[in-house]
Amino acid sequence: MRAVAVDVFLGLGAAVALVSSVGILVMRDAYQRLHYVTPISLLTPVLIGIAILIQSGWSSRSAQTWLAIGFMAIASPFLSHATIRAARVRESGDWRLTKPDQADRTEGPK
Amino acid sequence: MSAFLVTAIALLVAVVPCAIVVARGDVPDAVVAFGAIASNIVMVLALIAEGFNRSGEFELPLLSAVLIYGSGLVFVRFMERGL
Repeated sequence: MRAVAVDVFLGLGAAVALVSSVGILVMRDAYQRLHYVTPISLLTPVLIGIAILIQSGWSSRSAQTWLAIGFMAIASPFLSHATIRAARVRESGDWRLTKPDQADRTEGPK
Repeated sequence: MSAFLVTAIALLVAVVPCAIVVARGDVPDAVVAFGAIASNIVMVLALIAEGFNRSGEFELPLLSAVLIYGSGLVFVRFMERGL
């Protein structure tokens, strides 16, 4: 029963990683591709971490794996945000939809 | 071969499409694909350590998770400044 559960979680983790990487390949630009990074950096590690936890029990192996997963779960959204912000700055010079000087011109008299 | 090693091989196969994007895409696409490759490699290291039953090697995914986050931020910073 334990081996079946390990196999199921590992299979799910591998399937998520494979499908997401194909998604990264076929999407058009960085904005669309970034959606497929999140399953690889959050869902796959959690599924594999559960499999290692089932296999090893409460041990230093599981603790170190889950520490790495916890760090990835915290750091990955920050990195995704920074990546998309940098891509936007690179593309249009500013991350905001309208630059401050343009917003002043469009707002009208107060 | 244990299920952990088979999964590690599957995750390495999943690196291939991302590597194609890194090689052929422009810089923002490559940085995004690099993030995906980095997350995959962290999990591959954990799977290899579990598959070969080596407790000492579980430090590698932990250290690489920290270092890869830092390197990703460096890439993003350079990309923003027009790499």
